[in-house]
Amino acid sequence: MNIRSTKTRLAVLLPRSPSRRIALAWSLGVLCIAAATAPAVGISRDESVYLEAAENYAHFWMLAVRSPGKALSLVDRYYAVNREHPGLAKGVYGFTHALLADGLGITGHLQGSRFGAFLFAAVLAGLLSMWGSALAGAWGGSLAPALFFLVPRHFYHAHPAVLDLPETAFWFATAYAYWRSVGGGGDHARSGRWALATGLLFGAAVATKHNGWFLVPLLFGCWLAVALPALLREGPRALSARFPSAFLSMAVFGPLVLFATWPWLWPEPLPRLRDYFAFHLHHENYPWMYLGRLLRDPPFPASYPFVVTALTVPAAILACMCGGLVQSIARIVRSLRGYIEDVSLPTEMLLSANALFPIALIAWPTIPHFGGVKHWMPAMPFLALLGARALVNAGQVLVPRRPSAVTGTLAALALAPAAWQVAHVHPFGTAAWNELAGGAAGAASMGMQRQFWGDNMARVLPVVNGHAAPGARVWFQEATWLAVKEYQRDGRLRGDLAWANGPEDADISIWHYHQEFRDKEFRTWTDFGTARPATGVYLDEVPLVEVYARPGAWR
Amino acid sequence: MSDRPDYLGPSYMLGTPSEPPPTRAQVWRARARRLLWPPTPEVLAALFAATVTGLGGYGLLFAATLSSRLPSPIDWEAAAALVGRDARPGDIVALAPPWAERAREFLPERLPTRPDVPLVTNSFLDYATEELPGVRRVWLVSLPRAPGYSGDIARELASRSTAIDGPQQLGALQVTRYDLQTPMRPLYFFPDRLSSARVQVGEETCAADAAGGLRCAGTPSLRVAREVREVDFLPRACISVVASSDPARPSAIDFPDVPMGRALRGHTGAAGDGGLGAPVAVRLRVRVDGEEVGELEEHPRSPGWHAFQFDTSRFAGRRLPVSFQLSAVQPTREPICLDAMTLP
Repeated sequence: MNIRSTKTRLAVLLPRSPSRRIALAWSLGVLCIAAATAPAVGISRDESVYLEAAENYAHFWMLAVRSPGKALSLVDRYYAVNREHPGLAKGVYGFTHALLADGLGITGHLQGSRFGAFLFAAVLAGLLSMWGSALAGAWGGSLAPALFFLVPRHFYHAHPAVLDLPETAFWFATAYAYWRSVGGGGDHARSGRWALATGLLFGAAVATKHNGWFLVPLLFGCWLAVALPALLREGPRALSARFPSAFLSMAVFGPLVLFATWPWLWPEPLPRLRDYFAFHLHHENYPWMYLGRLLRDPPFPASYPFVVTALTVPAAILACMCGGLVQSIARIVRSLRGYIEDVSLPTEMLLSANALFPIALIAWPTIPHFGGVKHWMPAMPFLALLGARALVNAGQVLVPRRPSAVTGTLAALALAPAAWQVAHVHPFGTAAWNELAGGAAGAASMGMQRQFWGDNMARVLPVVNGHAAPGARVWFQEATWLAVKEYQRDGRLRGDLAWANGPEDADISIWHYHQEFRDKEFRTWTDFGTARPATGVYLDEVPLVEVYARPGAWR
Repeated sequence: MSDRPDYLGPSYMLGTPSEPPPTRAQVWRARARRLLWPPTPEVLAALFAATVTGLGGYGLLFAATLSSRLPSPIDWEAAAALVGRDARPGDIVALAPPWAERAREFLPERLPTRPDVPLVTNSFLDYATEELPGVRRVWLVSLPRAPGYSGDIARELASRSTAIDGPQQLGALQVTRYDLQTPMRPLYFFPDRLSSARVQVGEETCAADAAGGLRCAGTPSLRVAREVREVDFLPRACISVVASSDPARPSAIDFPDVPMGRALRGHTGAAGDGGLGAPVAVRLRVRVDGEEVGELEEHPRSPGWHAFQFDTSRFAGRRLPVSFQLSAVQPTREPICLDAMTLP
């Protein structure tokens, strides 16, 4: 009786719609898996800065609640940290840290901040499932998140408290809300609410990272491409009738949300906005390995994002995504030629354009090329959606009487090797390459970037704790001082180990493989009198991190 | 009705030969074409399913077999034991693929029987043109079944060897010894003798510092040391030196007692990120017994390990002082990596 009543209560809590139940299951699943697997993921350079910023921002908002006037006078003090990026995602990390680590004390400091990142990943998974269900039924809702999160680099990005996955989530959410606002999903009654949501979510996207601004030309272009014939036919009067209210909402709420969630702008909005855009328009080019070449200065090869995508997304998932994209483009072409009528041209335009635009944007030769797939990650959920629909449609076409059997079999064949890769590569997500590249080993032979931003050092910390001489000075090379401080605060690195500025004043050197920093490893050999690592981190025998020690510093 | 023959007589035109029956391949091609073109939704879905199935199967196979294609720690230990037991002075270790630098964690750094003799493990990409001064034999430790492996390094070493011992299979590793046909045997390798050299900037003599280099008190940025530096991505044991920009006070490294042969050969290159800083050309002049035997310029932004060779046959067989003078066109803090040797 008790069990039955508990079940009844749970059933009341669950959403009634099957598609929402699938979405909820995906959200909870991603949240739990990300939380469980996060401790193995180290702190990258950018994450270490965002963690510092997040706590500062949280302190600001807590002060603002208690004493608004004082908080306003101290905006610059709290928000000077990492003023290169807006404050929303970092604010969320600061809030979860304040609640879970400082308030309730149920997580460590790092996990507390990262809980915000798990939430963003969970939201993205749920939205992917919802849109997947709307496009291709229950199978679509089940497969779309899987096709996204079983890409090892995407799975990695579900963990760190950085900006790329939140930006992807807000980008996707904005596009979803826009789609609903223009009648996608068949719900015209609530298009006004969805238009409002589009504006707010667009504001969240631009308040997370500058990529969000590109949603304006992208969505407008998608609308114009479909509406232009009617506008030309009916004249300017049709514009007011056909113009989506979502764009007005974006124009109003986008800047408002940015301004409201980024107090750094408050004292001098325009000069600081100008500085912000200027920073990103003249962003530094970091050296980056690509097919045996060290890219340092533009023009960069336009092939870069396409080749890196092809060599990092597991091959069968890549086939699903490409198949889905080709299907969508073919539907657009056939619809424009009048061959088929049961196609929603706005939907196909929206999906295809979002799947291609972020990749094409980074392909531009003067745009900095670094950071693996993260800079065009907003394209990937759309490719996952299209891939899921292609799998479902293949089942329907090949065996109409038992479509689920075919879709299920194909999905298993696409997802099983990807899941294996995720398990094999974790937590070295920035070093993940697919079977077409030959994994990490094949990519190393091809001269591709081996890893980036210093987080793979976390794997050697237990060994360093066990062997480093008391008070040893350690050169952490690619890891920042903030990251080291964070490891020590969470008890993951011995507190007596001291920071060294280079191999020349270090007892232990933790060298992260970067081709452009190779000279520092060789200088370590000279300074320490040995080229023999005390230990290392290897992925498929490919060195990621090497630890060198002076005689007597390693016990 | 007439039974008369055709009044034009029998035809002289050859009859049209009948079409030969289609071959089996042509039949299959035609069937395939009919099946695939124009592409129906069923055909496209089948192609899509076949691609996903094929790539999914390949992905599973790749993941399932990967660990067996790569060496285990026991394999590395076995290779280290073999090389440690049989290596001799004049040996080095090469790696294929070059990224397999985990070898350094296991292989001995010095000969177990002669701790004074180093056993260098190299990760060069190309052994066809690499000079390998002082090397008589090369132990190639390779991972032949690793993804991305190519046999280029083994072929390059084989092409310059008189004898090949192996390969010995040690799990997923192979160890092969190559005896070089014409080893380059320097009489004198300058970087290894830096401790006997005198370093000057103008008239100012530089003194040894705690880190084993020589630092010039008046111009502390001018440090000279025997180091391993990165030049064009590869480790080079060389004299790292920052050139003086004062034409009246060039940086000079003087070796007092050098056995001379027919040639003085060496290399220069920008060390580390040196080539990326302010583009400053560095001029090198080489003097033997006070007489200039050659000069060259290390050009800015020309990454690479640039070889030079000067004829010294007129000094062959004698022990003479050799001086390297370096001067930069403009002030620079970026070091040049310089190696040199005298050859018989």
